[in-house]
Amino acid sequence: MSGERSGERFRDVLRGTIDGKTVVARRGATVLETAESVGIRIPTLCHREGLPPDGNCRLCVVETKGKLVISCMFPVREDGFAILTQSPGVREARRFVLSLMLNRAPKAPAILKLAGEYGAGADPRFSRDPDNCVRCGRCVRACRANRTEAIALVGRGFERSVSGPFEKPPPDCVGCLSCAFVCPTGNILYSERDGKRRIWDKEFRLVPCPECGTPVFTEEQIRFLGEKASGLCPECGRRRLASALRNAEPLSGGSRGF
Amino acid sequence: MPKTNPGAPEAVDLTGLRGLLESRPPEARELLPLLRDIQTRYRHLPEEAVRGLSEYLGLPLARVYAVSRFYKSLSRVPKGERLVKVCLGTACHLRGAPALLEALEGKLGLALGETGKDGRFTLESVNCVGACALAPVVMLDDEVHGKLNDESLADLPL
Repeated sequence: MSGERSGERFRDVLRGTIDGKTVVARRGATVLETAESVGIRIPTLCHREGLPPDGNCRLCVVETKGKLVISCMFPVREDGFAILTQSPGVREARRFVLSLMLNRAPKAPAILKLAGEYGAGADPRFSRDPDNCVRCGRCVRACRANRTEAIALVGRGFERSVSGPFEKPPPDCVGCLSCAFVCPTGNILYSERDGKRRIWDKEFRLVPCPECGTPVFTEEQIRFLGEKASGLCPECGRRRLASALRNAEPLSGGSRGF
Repeated sequence: MPKTNPGAPEAVDLTGLRGLLESRPPEARELLPLLRDIQTRYRHLPEEAVRGLSEYLGLPLARVYAVSRFYKSLSRVPKGERLVKVCLGTACHLRGAPALLEALEGKLGLALGETGKDGRFTLESVNCVGACALAPVVMLDDEVHGKLNDESLADLPL
C-alpha cells in the first residue's frame, strides 16, 4: 500500500457510531468486536472468540445503511459508519431466527433466555424432531482448531447434523471435550466414571495428573499432543510454570528483567 | 449425538482401489474428483474406499466423509447399472412428468428412489436438467431423452 508512514496509524482508526454512541474502531475489525469493545452486547450463538467466525446462526445481525448484516463477520471499513444493534428490523430478524431455533433446541437455556428477550415462540410450521442442536458448528470448528477434526457437519438441509464419519464413534476423537465445552446449547454430553470418560459413544481412559492425581487428560489426548503434553493438570501445570519463572536466571543484558 | 447407521451391506471387492486412487496426485483438490471416480467404479461409495481415500489424500476422515455426504450424485448405497432420472422441473411437470414417472415406475417395477434387486436400474427424480424446451425429459445415465409421450417412452432402451 502507499507510503506516508506518519498517516498510516490514523488511517487505520475509524470513527463512527453504534446505537448513536460515538465509537472508535480499528479498520477491518468486525462490527461485533467493535461493539463489544465499548460494552455493547450483541447476541450470538455460533460465534466464539478463538474460533474462526462462521456467520451461520444469524443472531448477531445488525443494521447499517438500511441493510441487515451479520456483525460477527462484517468489517468496519469506513469513517462515519453507523450501526444499529437494536432497531426494529434487527429485533424482528432475531425474533424470527429464534422462532426457528426453538424448534431445534426447545430446551436449551441459552435459546430460551434469548427467546424471552425477543418475544419469540416456536413456529409449528417448521417443527422438527428437536435434538437441542442448532447446527452452529462450534464443536466442529473447535475440533478442527485442535487439529483433531474428528467430527463434521454431515448432510444437508433438515438432515444436517454433527457426526463422526459413517455415524460411528469418531476414530480421530481424543476425548478432549473441546466440543462439549464450546457447545452453546449444552447438547454434547459426556460422562466420567471410574477413571473413564465417555463422549461420542467412545470410551477413554483418564490419566491421573502425575503431581496431584486429578484425572484430566485422556491417554489418546496425551498421545496426540506428543511432547507438548506434560500430563500435568492445568492447576499443577501453572504451578510448575510459576516456580520455573521464579527461579529463572534474569535475561542477559538485564534491561528486560521481570 | 450420532444416529444409527442405516447401513449399506458391504461386500465390495476393492482390489483396484489403490490404482484408482493413484490415477490422481494425492492433493486435497483431488478429493471430489476421486469421490466421483469411486462412485463411478463401484456405483456407490464403499466405506472402506472412503477411508482409503482419506488416507491417500492425508485429509481427516471426518472431512472426507462430510464431503461424500454433501452431493446428491454421490451415494452410500449401490446404485443400479443404469440411472434413470425423471425431470420433475416446472416445464416437465406441466408437460406431464408426473404421469411419465408413474409409467416408468410401472415399467421398471420400481418406486421413485429405488434400485431393483437385480441391480440393473435406479429410478430417481431431478428438479431440472436444463432442457426445458424438450419437456418432458428423462435422462438415462448421460443421455437426454426429450419430448416423451407414451410411444416414445415405449421406445426407450430400458
